[in-house]
Amino acid sequence: MSKEVLIIGGGPAGLECANTLLMLGYKVFIVEKDTEIGGHLRKWDRLFPESISASETLERLITPSKKAVVFNEAEVISVKLTNGFFDVRLSDNTELHVHSVVVATGFKLFPAEKKEEYGYGIYNRVITNADLEASFKNHSREILQSKRVGFVHCVGSRDEKISNRHCSKVCCVTAVKQACEFKEANPDAEIYCFYMDLRMFGRGYEDLYLKAQNKYGIRFIRGRVSEVAENVNGELLIKAEDTLISRPLKVTLDLLVLMSGMSKNPDNDQLADILGLDIAEDGFFVQHDPTINSIKSKIKGIFFAGTVTGPKTIPETLNEARSAALAVHKYLSE
Amino acid sequence: MIINGKKKIWSDYQKEIPDDHYFYVRSCIRQNFFPASEKLFLEIVRDRLNLDFYETEHHTTCGGIAYHSDTIPQETVMTIVARQFALMSEAGYKNYVASCITSFGLYTEILDTWYHYPELEAKIKDNLWKTTRREFNKPEYLAHASDVIYKLRDKIASQAKYKLVNKDTGKPLKVVEHIGCHYSKMFPSKGVGGAEYPYVLTGMIESWGGEIVDYPERRHCCGFGFRQYMVRANRGYSLANTYKKFESMEPFHPDMIITNCPGCPYFLDRWQYVIKEMEGKTYGKDGQGIPVFTYEEVAGLVLGYDPWYLGLQMHQIDVEPLLDTIGIKYSKTDKYLL
Amino acid sequence: MGKLLDKLNKDYRFLEGLNACINCGTCTAICPAAEFYKYDPRIITDTVQSKNEEEIEKLLKSDTIWYCGECMSCVTRCPRKNAPGLIIMALRTLSMDTGLFINSEKGRQQYALSLALNNNILNYGYCVYPRTFKYKDHPEYGPVGKWIENNLDALHKKVGSNLDGQGPGILRKIPDEDLQELKRIFDMTGATERMDTIEKYSLSKAQELGMTKEEYLNYIETTIEIEHHK
Repeated sequence: MSKEVLIIGGGPAGLECANTLLMLGYKVFIVEKDTEIGGHLRKWDRLFPESISASETLERLITPSKKAVVFNEAEVISVKLTNGFFDVRLSDNTELHVHSVVVATGFKLFPAEKKEEYGYGIYNRVITNADLEASFKNHSREILQSKRVGFVHCVGSRDEKISNRHCSKVCCVTAVKQACEFKEANPDAEIYCFYMDLRMFGRGYEDLYLKAQNKYGIRFIRGRVSEVAENVNGELLIKAEDTLISRPLKVTLDLLVLMSGMSKNPDNDQLADILGLDIAEDGFFVQHDPTINSIKSKIKGIFFAGTVTGPKTIPETLNEARSAALAVHKYLSE
Repeated sequence: MIINGKKKIWSDYQKEIPDDHYFYVRSCIRQNFFPASEKLFLEIVRDRLNLDFYETEHHTTCGGIAYHSDTIPQETVMTIVARQFALMSEAGYKNYVASCITSFGLYTEILDTWYHYPELEAKIKDNLWKTTRREFNKPEYLAHASDVIYKLRDKIASQAKYKLVNKDTGKPLKVVEHIGCHYSKMFPSKGVGGAEYPYVLTGMIESWGGEIVDYPERRHCCGFGFRQYMVRANRGYSLANTYKKFESMEPFHPDMIITNCPGCPYFLDRWQYVIKEMEGKTYGKDGQGIPVFTYEEVAGLVLGYDPWYLGLQMHQIDVEPLLDTIGIKYSKTDKYLL
Repeated sequence: MGKLLDKLNKDYRFLEGLNACINCGTCTAICPAAEFYKYDPRIITDTVQSKNEEEIEKLLKSDTIWYCGECMSCVTRCPRKNAPGLIIMALRTLSMDTGLFINSEKGRQQYALSLALNNNILNYGYCVYPRTFKYKDHPEYGPVGKWIENNLDALHKKVGSNLDGQGPGILRKIPDEDLQELKRIFDMTGATERMDTIEKYSLSKAQELGMTKEEYLNYIETTIEIEHHK
């Protein structure tokens, strides 16, 4: 009789963890809040740094997971630990009796309207990185034929004012990727990236940055956007300082893309209560041993995978997911 | 523009403003340049709406202009403010309303500083006792006079004789709203609507029939800059900022400007005259200039008060073309009668 | 820590205003003074953050710190919750306390401001008072300003003021006991001391330039001998 594992969250972390556990012979339950599994990956068009297809990547993660039992539009209501078993009740009244739990609930994209000075939801031509991915997916002509385009880095990240001090890690490379893709779609476009620091930390990222400058002529301005306004023609006026030459500047643009960061999942607090875990000041779950064992929680038998413990790239998420599965396996073999 | 985005922000920044029983303190600049506005504020709340607004002759300037011109230390201005609070406590009030926006910003800043540094509050308490034998309590609620009029805007609308509408076309007037910097730039949560899309004046205009115009330099300072205006050699700064705002609002063809700060209506009004003298450039319909009002002046106009009772003859830009547009009855010849 | 920095760290506005700057430029982007003057609040914050006594002393002697209009637009947007406007106020205070303000054209103007504003407060209880606000000093007041000045008492009566009158009301005569309280507050909390310091350095400078006090006041109010703009 194979042992049973519950994975909370059906995004890339949850799916790859399920795939590994299934391969190791476990019975896997996935509980997913949304109508479908796949998480944020369902929304993206192409992934950095090489612009590979998001939907194909997702397909590769879903295919091996078919043997997992998935509960869509369901949430965990209560968890009781008795004699090494986790008695779990879901919102659709399902009761599960599992040996181990993996928390893979991911992140929430920062709601860009909270940065009021950027005018998201007020000015028509201000969109987010997520909106732009959708525009790429749908070949939205209206968006893609904008001539003067700006990308605003660090929206909802590195910002004490909205209590998100952390860096969301992946937005810089995403902005550079999207800038290149935009230029491909519209070679006449003039594109500006407004950044504070350019975090090109991963393999191939600096190459992408170089390509953005050489091949696509993307202009990089080191200055955080302070304010966005709309003129009488509906064009956007952006105020920033070019800190490298110490001059304030104003740019008129046709489209502004806000790089919304990875923010805490608002369900975290309630889930932490249910599981008996802790949330850190940045809103993500507290890791028991962040350097050596990033997937370990303070409760035996409960593990983490993916952005539930902080911003990560997809390869990092998938590696953690496999690591969490291995940790479950080790735990259940003792 | 998507109005629902703004509405959501406005609902996030609600501020609790008591209805009644306020200790009222005056504004240096408004007493000098817009005295009728201060008169009308008390007339509206006391005589029209039967509310309790108390004023003592013993209150003084809060010292804000001197503080922001750096001629008095922070400790001095805090002790002066403590004295004002003491007068409030002695009169038996807990709600404090300031007529000036720099004052309002100053009171908010001081209360916040005392909250973070209680030893400083203790020192000021001691200073006040030693110099005046007075003791103070901090106000329970701090409001700006425009917050109060904002709260009462619908009551004013129900008693209104006129609307901010073009009497010939029936269309709402296009109104530029200008919020004083010290209202919410330092502490956005203390202003109705926050710092980016303040609602305190927008709410009044909407209630009284007008339409708000958003333009790129809406949030830009009028340029008072304290020392930048008061010293002759620096006045170019002040003028340049106002000029920038007018150039930005011009394409939107506003009919009028409403402000809630003492200095701003003075500058937005007078610098138009200077721009005309220096550059030959004018704004507004037929180059007549865009008239600038305090919110009490606008309230007074919709309530049907005589414009010269409202002190509008003290403006440099003529208000008559706008009064004609609204259809307000007034006597042209009475304007400069004393 | 150096002497100047020691003093700055005693100013609550400095403590509130400096929370570690990352040089993002959001403040400079929105600053009215940065548009028109050779001014960059980001650079000032970074300089102060560097704790370099020499550079701070240079700032205190410079025109730079006097360009700010204290509108606090910088405070609204800073992602690290710094307040360059408050740092400027702390720097200005230190510049006056140490006498270094006398070295800059804009700094010297403090004497005119101190006399005008503080005397208004001590004599009348207002920062601005109509009988000391002269049209000849404010041509921008416009033709209507001239009319107002020529008809001051009648006009204020007409619009409902209580100019220099007893009891509450607009521009009332604030009772002498209250003005005396203000004087005692000035004396105890350092305002009088600041006025004296500013005057001491200013009169010394006037003597150096061979001017009377009146000539010096006119000189500092109207002089523009340096290029202040971009």
